[in-house]
Amino acid sequence: MEQFIISPSSGIPIYKQLYSQIERMVLNGYFSVDQRLPSVRQVASDLDVNPMTVSKAYGLLEERGYLTRLRGKGMVVTARDDEVLQQEKLTMLDEMIKELLAQAKQMGISDDKVVQMINRNVANKQDETVGKE
Amino acid sequence: MTCIVNVKGLTKSYKNQSVLKGLSWEIEPGDVVGLLGKNGAGKSTLLKSLLNISDIDSGEISIFGEQYNQLSSKNKARIGYVPQENDEISWLSVNDLINFRKQFYSTWSDEKVTELISRWEIDATKKIAELSPGQVQRVLIILALAPMPELLIFDEPAASLDPAGRRDFLKEILTLVSDENITVIFSTHITSDLERIANKVAILDKGKICYFNDLDITKESVVQLTVHCKKEQGITIPYLLRGKLHSQGQYGVVSQLDQAWLAEMKEQAVEVTINPMGLEDIFLELTA
Repeated sequence: MEQFIISPSSGIPIYKQLYSQIERMVLNGYFSVDQRLPSVRQVASDLDVNPMTVSKAYGLLEERGYLTRLRGKGMVVTARDDEVLQQEKLTMLDEMIKELLAQAKQMGISDDKVVQMINRNVANKQDETVGKE
Repeated sequence: MTCIVNVKGLTKSYKNQSVLKGLSWEIEPGDVVGLLGKNGAGKSTLLKSLLNISDIDSGEISIFGEQYNQLSSKNKARIGYVPQENDEISWLSVNDLINFRKQFYSTWSDEKVTELISRWEIDATKKIAELSPGQVQRVLIILALAPMPELLIFDEPAASLDPAGRRDFLKEILTLVSDENITVIFSTHITSDLERIANKVAILDKGKICYFNDLDITKESVVQLTVHCKKEQGITIPYLLRGKLHSQGQYGVVSQLDQAWLAEMKEQAVEVTINPMGLEDIFLELTA
């Protein structure tokens, strides 16, 4: 069961890599509410990493409200208001947009141009959908 | 918390070459510490000093709270050591060597030995001298793990293992780490092994532990920065290890990320890009 992918030699600590992957998997519904996550031991052994690293990621996800620790059951996905969930998703997208704009800036491409490109992509997608119907 | 290993002011020289120059180091229970250092930095000397295999010139070392050269036999049995080079009797068969070593320990696990011998496909009837370097290393690892030690010291344990053998060795260490509250110190040149299993990284350079920190904190603080500013702004990057000025701004590697400085930059609308680095690059930067 190799659900997570990490690259140990990346500059991003392994616990952070795991944290962002699981966060995304909860937000996009790969892990559904009340679903049990593999145990710390299991993940550590699958990925050949220190169990402390996995615990750290799980702990952080618990702290931020994504996971709940159940006695004898391990970690399960927390049931949360649609509103809160929606907010989390928007926050994540917001981060991605910031990153996109920063990248564009480094390439010398203006914010306006990026907005234009997004609009064009949205328009193209709508055309495609219409085409299919 | 009491330290498992506590070193103060350790010095050691060979003839007139001084290797360890007043080295201090504290290892806490449960830590898995990766020790990095250039060739000849003195990693083996340091590890051998801890075990009283190599004489020291001055300094204090305590292990399990006892003076290192007066360890009780009970505490000695709590330490497992895998040397860089095989110093076992090479004309003995693996079986004989195991039975010989077994006599010295009351906590010896035959189960562990049998399991590892079969998993690592070692022909125990063969003499040590007849084994390949990788197989010898595996035997040494088995000898170190069999007494179920609480402190494991490895001197480049993976040096003669192939990638599959190395991974399997890491797995074994990780199992030990998750099952018992074991403390591990291992020297290595293979930073990716360290990144997988260690929670702390130590760097031995110029006779001292010049860097010792949590691995995650290390990756979050030793980073490359690009500061998008003009020369006239006269911005100084704090904790700079190495820096360069160019037309687009300043580039640098820092040993620590100064949050107050970052906030100040934000206030001045100076853009700072942070790029994390892998441990190999971090090691090179810190010992440059």
